[in-house]
Amino acid sequence: MALIEVQDLVKRFDGKEVLKGVNVLLSEGQSKVVMGASGCGKSTLLKCLNLLVAPTSGRIIFKGEDITRPGVDIHRLRQDIGFVFQHFALYTHLTVEENITLGLRKIRKMKTAAAREKAAFELERVGMFEHRKKYPAHLSGGQKQRAAIVRALAMDPAVLFLDEPTSALDPQMSREVVTVINKLYLDNITMFCVTHDPFLAKYISDSIVFMHEGVIVAEDIAERLFYEHDDPRIRQFYLSVIDHR
Amino acid sequence: MDAFLQDLIHYSPQILAGLKNTLLLMAVMSIAGLAGGIGVFYLTLGKNRLLRWGTERYISFFIGTPLLVHLFLMYYGLPQLGIRLSAFAVAVIGFTLNVSAYNARYLMTAYNGLDKTQIEAARAQGFRFGQTFRLIILPQTLRLSVPSLTNQVIQNLKDTSVAFLIQYPDFFAQMQEIASTNFQFLKTYVAAGLVYLALVSVIVAAARRLERKTALPGLETLDHA
Repeated sequence: MALIEVQDLVKRFDGKEVLKGVNVLLSEGQSKVVMGASGCGKSTLLKCLNLLVAPTSGRIIFKGEDITRPGVDIHRLRQDIGFVFQHFALYTHLTVEENITLGLRKIRKMKTAAAREKAAFELERVGMFEHRKKYPAHLSGGQKQRAAIVRALAMDPAVLFLDEPTSALDPQMSREVVTVINKLYLDNITMFCVTHDPFLAKYISDSIVFMHEGVIVAEDIAERLFYEHDDPRIRQFYLSVIDHR
Repeated sequence: MDAFLQDLIHYSPQILAGLKNTLLLMAVMSIAGLAGGIGVFYLTLGKNRLLRWGTERYISFFIGTPLLVHLFLMYYGLPQLGIRLSAFAVAVIGFTLNVSAYNARYLMTAYNGLDKTQIEAARAQGFRFGQTFRLIILPQTLRLSVPSLTNQVIQNLKDTSVAFLIQYPDFFAQMQEIASTNFQFLKTYVAAGLVYLALVSVIVAAARRLERKTALPGLETLDHA
């Protein structure tokens, strides 16, 4: 069953069309990656899907409900979507544990002890339990991103959105994070990820959507898209990101 | 014993009463000014454009005009409209409006330095704006503003000395009265200055302690030793 169905999505910023009629489907348990050059509209697409950015036109059906119609409870919708940011976006005045329990306590209305227990369990899964009392400023980039992933996952969202989760990391830390997201992929967590990183894309996706100038050009599994596709834009993109690795 | 010291002892009940009034005014305006500053800061972040414009004008007016004008306007001007307020009420209202504007500006400055991805993350998590303000924005901006906010408390203490111009019997008003009785202007005002300095030193010590305790992780003062 489709968890998210995007129909003819258009987004204009000051007259510039960033998304030009995008159609995408994401099924429950599926992991889809969106790739494309900078400025192709992939991050905008992701932010439109939880209404952090308001679409100009088109429809987004989430769990069978059109979330672009007026009167939708935007907060309830977002509580059902985990979001991981490129620059981690951890709350700097809170410890790792508090970063995770804040949403559990204030949104999920869990008692502090239960929220801590849940945080401990999730942190253990990504090897971050021993860092739970540390503040974000005292963590490495890879640790910060793992904590951010746990913060999103602990809320038991229907889907996890990842916006360039490895772009701000050096190769070693990036690998740490890829390993964690790969584990989620193997656990059949529904994911929608935007990335430049072909290594990440390959290890966490059922299929890859390639975007160019606000339009979806192709969708296929990693091996075929990277190695067999004859669209010159895809070839050029793949060669450029491989060069930068 | 020195005649001046004898005068001080003689007038000590009056001096202490003035000191009490000074500290009371400082405490009330510091607390009310902090609450007011937070309120104004909250409104400046809201979606309502008119409200944002209004709060901006409010801040500009109170920062851009002298405190004494506000006090005189309320104490001597309002009675002409039939509104008569006590010196204490005028001092509290006038100072609070003024201090709130400054405190709001300090909080806005701290907010400008904040990593805004946290606010986007809070929105993405499903927090409402009020929750984001209370749980994410305010704790950080307050902590980042501790040096400015505590300097404002020091300023508040010193500014109380202006209140004697609207007949508020503060510490400085008492000292002035003593000086005009014994004509020991130099000694009396030096003594007044020393008392203010002692009080400010206490606030400074408490402020530095608070700064150390509330510094955001990663932004603690570097040890230059």
